[in-house]
Amino acid sequence: MIPRVCNVLNALKNFEKHVLQMFKYPPREFALAYDYDKPVQKTTKKFSLNDLIGDGFLLAVPKFRRTVEKRWKRKFGSPEYIWKMLVPKTNIIVCNKCGHYHENGRLCGNCYKIVEEETKEIQAKIQEKLGTNKPIENDVIVLYDGDQLPEKPQEFWQGKRVIEMKKERPKWFSKNLLQKTTQAPSDSKDVKPTDLA
Amino acid sequence: MNQADITKLVSKLRIKVPPTHRRLRNPLGPEGRLNKLRKTVTGLIKYERIELNYNRADEARQYAERLISEAISHGDCHKPTMEIADFWLLEKELVHKLFKVLVPRFENSSSAFTKMYKAPKPAYARAIEKTILELKGNPYPSLTTRQPNNKLLLQNVLLDAAKYDYRQTKYAEIAEKMSTPEETKNPDS
Ligand SMILES: [Zn+2]
Repeated sequence: MIPRVCNVLNALKNFEKHVLQMFKYPPREFALAYDYDKPVQKTTKKFSLNDLIGDGFLLAVPKFRRTVEKRWKRKFGSPEYIWKMLVPKTNIIVCNKCGHYHENGRLCGNCYKIVEEETKEIQAKIQEKLGTNKPIENDVIVLYDGDQLPEKPQEFWQGKRVIEMKKERPKWFSKNLLQKTTQAPSDSKDVKPTDLA
Repeated sequence: MNQADITKLVSKLRIKVPPTHRRLRNPLGPEGRLNKLRKTVTGLIKYERIELNYNRADEARQYAERLISEAISHGDCHKPTMEIADFWLLEKELVHKLFKVLVPRFENSSSAFTKMYKAPKPAYARAIEKTILELKGNPYPSLTTRQPNNKLLLQNVLLDAAKYDYRQTKYAEIAEKMSTPEETKNPDS
């Protein structure tokens, strides 16, 4: 900002000087009298850009200096708006299922990729079996190869759409999803340690 | 007090509802916004698990919850409810699904009918917040499984290796002890 203002002020001062000289100012009475040799007239050539560049061409270049503040803002960004520096994340946790790292409060990327693939496969199968423009009146049950039907009364099975996936059940997709409880309640009070390697 | 129970007049949703709706920008204005939300609600009822942008998911979730709770409280013989279902479900076979599959599924539930998860996001990249919106009780594999004692965890793998090493050294020590007294005993006897 300041260089631009100085530039304008200098131009104004020059202009003022020239205008005052036109009206013979300052008056001659204040002039100093001294012996003075008339200088030899030099034949000055008029300045021309052509002498400097010749056949080349000019590029646009910065005219004024950029301040430190502006340079640093460009380089590092501003903490209130966009901060360009790398900041360590403190909300990374280990996935309980696969051991990959993921952000807290977000799904694990590795696990989600696997589940998403399986989900899309099942969705495609359901749509394929259902066909189009048929009223959907029954819930869906997904069975893999070699799955036993869970023991339920006959009424439970009435009017269920059974979708058969023609492959083994993935190891991570628990078989117990169809049952209400995974284990029968036991009376013994001994606690057995598990997963001790 | 001979006063109507106000809570029964409007279905109370089990999710947090913001005070104002989002102005999802659309060239067609509010109508385009509604069309988009109708598509999303239809997709949610049809596929039961979809992945989409956070804003649209959160907005559509409220309408889906409201639709299901209306269907539960009024049933399929109520004309206004039927009109609402007809408006929100673009594919008409889903109207049957709403009343014959989803109503029995959620009739006795005491929590929200949908669930929303934040989708994984690449680290240090400009990415739109994605979410996974699903109906509860869907046939797909669960997105969150609790298996705290997993052998594949790095910590558990290291602990296993350490235990194995420790046991091997102990066995070697015991074997040495067993063998040395015998050698010393034999010359005595
Ligand atoms: Zn994982």
